[in-house]
Amino acid sequence: MIRFVLQRLLLAIPALFGLLVLTFIMLRVLPNDPSAALAGENATPAQIAAVRNAYGFDEPLWKQFIIYVEQVGRGDFGNSIISNRPVVSDIAWRLPATIELTFVALLFAACVGIPLGTLAAVWHNSLFDHVMRIVTVAGLAVASFWFAIMLQMTFSMELDWLPLRGRFPVGLSPPLQITGLYLLDSLLTLRFDLFGQAFAHILMPALTLSLGGLASIARFTRAGVLETMQKDFVHYAEAAGYARRRIIWVYVLRNSVVGATTQIGLLFGALISSAVAVESIFDWPGVGSYAVSAILTSDYKAVLAVTLVVGLIYSIVNIAIDVVHAWLDPRVAENL
Amino acid sequence: MKRRTFLLGTGATVTAAVVGAPVAIAQPKPDELVWADGLPGSLDPHALSDVPMQGYLINVYDTLYVNRDNPPKLEPWLASGHTISDDGLIVMFKLREGIKFHDGSPLTAEDVVWSFHRLLNMKKGAASAFLAVLNPDNVTAPDPTTVVFKLKRPYAPFVSATPLVAIVNRRVIEPNIKDNDWGQAWLASNSAGSGSYILDPSTYQPVQQIDMKRNPDHFMGWGHNKSPIEIVRRRDILETTTRVNALIKGDVDCTDSYLPPDQVERVLASKGATVSKDQSMRVMVLRMNNRKPPFDNLNFRRALSHAFNYRGFIDDVLKGYAVRNAGPIPVNLWGSPQDLPPYAFNLEAAKEFLAKAKAEGAPVDREIEIHIQQHLAQTTQAAQILQQALRKIGVNLRIVPNLWPQLVSSTAKVETTPDMWVHWVSSYFIDPENWIGQMYDSQFHGTWKASSWYKNDKVDSLLREARGLDDQSKRQALYEEASRIVVSDAADIWIYNAIELRGLSNRLHGFRFTPIGSGADFRVMSLTS
Repeated sequence: MIRFVLQRLLLAIPALFGLLVLTFIMLRVLPNDPSAALAGENATPAQIAAVRNAYGFDEPLWKQFIIYVEQVGRGDFGNSIISNRPVVSDIAWRLPATIELTFVALLFAACVGIPLGTLAAVWHNSLFDHVMRIVTVAGLAVASFWFAIMLQMTFSMELDWLPLRGRFPVGLSPPLQITGLYLLDSLLTLRFDLFGQAFAHILMPALTLSLGGLASIARFTRAGVLETMQKDFVHYAEAAGYARRRIIWVYVLRNSVVGATTQIGLLFGALISSAVAVESIFDWPGVGSYAVSAILTSDYKAVLAVTLVVGLIYSIVNIAIDVVHAWLDPRVAENL
Repeated sequence: MKRRTFLLGTGATVTAAVVGAPVAIAQPKPDELVWADGLPGSLDPHALSDVPMQGYLINVYDTLYVNRDNPPKLEPWLASGHTISDDGLIVMFKLREGIKFHDGSPLTAEDVVWSFHRLLNMKKGAASAFLAVLNPDNVTAPDPTTVVFKLKRPYAPFVSATPLVAIVNRRVIEPNIKDNDWGQAWLASNSAGSGSYILDPSTYQPVQQIDMKRNPDHFMGWGHNKSPIEIVRRRDILETTTRVNALIKGDVDCTDSYLPPDQVERVLASKGATVSKDQSMRVMVLRMNNRKPPFDNLNFRRALSHAFNYRGFIDDVLKGYAVRNAGPIPVNLWGSPQDLPPYAFNLEAAKEFLAKAKAEGAPVDREIEIHIQQHLAQTTQAAQILQQALRKIGVNLRIVPNLWPQLVSSTAKVETTPDMWVHWVSSYFIDPENWIGQMYDSQFHGTWKASSWYKNDKVDSLLREARGLDDQSKRQALYEEASRIVVSDAADIWIYNAIELRGLSNRLHGFRFTPIGSGADFRVMSLTS
């Protein structure tokens, strides 16, 4: 297993390098030069050229790329062109917020999607199954920004049950930072009052973010459970007199969710991408909203760093999913 | 521990935490202002010069002069006054005494000199307003309260531009200089000012949050404000709807000052907030590249000037929250001729000019492009309105989405400057030079402000003469004459002067709008419970 994980990690390196090359080319070959904006109001071409020279934008692209790769190899993503701060420190502050949001959304999607998918399969072609089909299609089709605004208008503006925006109340100190994940940190420090605040703030953004994933997981689970229920071992278990509940929720489900777990791995990447819109609407201080600001200001070092970090997380999550796969299906483990 | 026991235990703990925890929705604190407007990309006041930076600079730093009220009046601030030599080359400022930086050290003329040296050597942000007329070595301090600027040539807007320059504390910055960077890396996340509010660097997050506390020792004192705001928390909320909802709900005390008209109605209908409507100095303009055919043809430009539905845009799209602006200078600033008739939306006239242009050989049949700023909806709406009208007279206009950094880069050369693009010219300093001077004097070709590539020797001569004079009445006559010529030449399509629309909570008092900083001057504000 360790050899397998190491192999996958090694394979991730060329994938990340490819991502770096592609993103660099997309950002730097297309007309994308922040020098004029940095040089300020009414800067002359000579003043703009001086700024371009100071930042090395006038060097050949291949040279800029080599310098950048060397920097990244040392773990230095450079300074943001706009804020003049190390990009790593900006991202380090925001990344836990995005990871927490994505993880809670995924957890919600899995915890609700898998049982719903299973029930739809068990009662297939029933009214519940038909309703589920409509709901999941709607879940995939509905625009997240519309759903987010509906949630805000209902639960925050009208009912005043939940906070409208942000990760934590303005002016209230967040829990002592251990992991950067407020929910976890508040539990670890036994600050249940802060946990309550963090939980209340994450509910609506996580629900919005989970919507598409929930529908997708439910559909995959339904298909998997339906297929597994036709297998011989299920008929054998039924003939042997096992309780139907046990057959479905233990034996069938375990053999069916392999497809759904693969889907969860893919969804993690998709959710991080979708987080851009959700973070904007809920004013969630994650890397998504940071990426939006960086793109609007052509802060290419920040954009590159965000892309690489998200790529890295995506790779790690997929390796983790492979490990879970092996745990769920011993046949996979034998082939590792 | 069995897995089931562990899961049950964890679930029970989480449930108890959620159910038991007091999840009270946070309420605004009585002495804390939450200001939800755009934040500067960096905190270094010499590295950036844009509208969000102005909102930061006027609170954390002090400047020689400041702009107050609307229309703005230039008032001495750190300086008690200034004199200009007869030849217009020597500008001398006298500083007030007893001014202190946030660290308690005195602010002297040496600090002013060092601040200008830093700005001019960094060559960023506001430096471009001074580089053409000022060498760093020509800023001197003959004594602790006197600063002398020796200009390369007379430059009347010089004093008007001084509010752009924050006076920084060299004693705080110098220990943090690395690789001759003038302390840029450090000041990007810290402050070195003397202003009415002091930055809390420990909570600062770029383009996310800035917290400040009141400076009780500010040199101007606080006698003007019986209940000043102690803590200011600036937050940037990206989404307009969320920003407005937060104001209506009472989470924040303001929105940005560019509210869309539909959101204005929502705020006005709410119980806890209102909208401040202030005519600003921010002119929306559709640029035309006067050197690219067919825009090099006067009749073609006039045709396009008659093909924009000005009233429809202002009355229907903006719900009347804008003032028609006939030329490049805001209508509420001296130098703008009050009797100058604006171009009217008239498709018959447009057709006639188009026919003349065609007869003169202008390639009016080619597809033309207008570049919009894709994250600013109004630029798209303006382009669509023009596109719709042009289609009726047989001109094909293509709308191209773009971003500000790319657009300003593209304007360095005639060939790369778009046929047309949409932007606003905001008030960086209050002088006609900020608008007509820098937009239509051909010496500025290659800058984004002069991206029409307009060239008229008479206009050049008028603008250069106005720049060198100290007498405002004489300058006014010259700017008015230049405006008439530029408008007659249809150099661009000027649409409106903005009315800034800022949502404000009802508990906020003392808001005083000034175009510079859009009224974000916290020292005059107070809060009621």
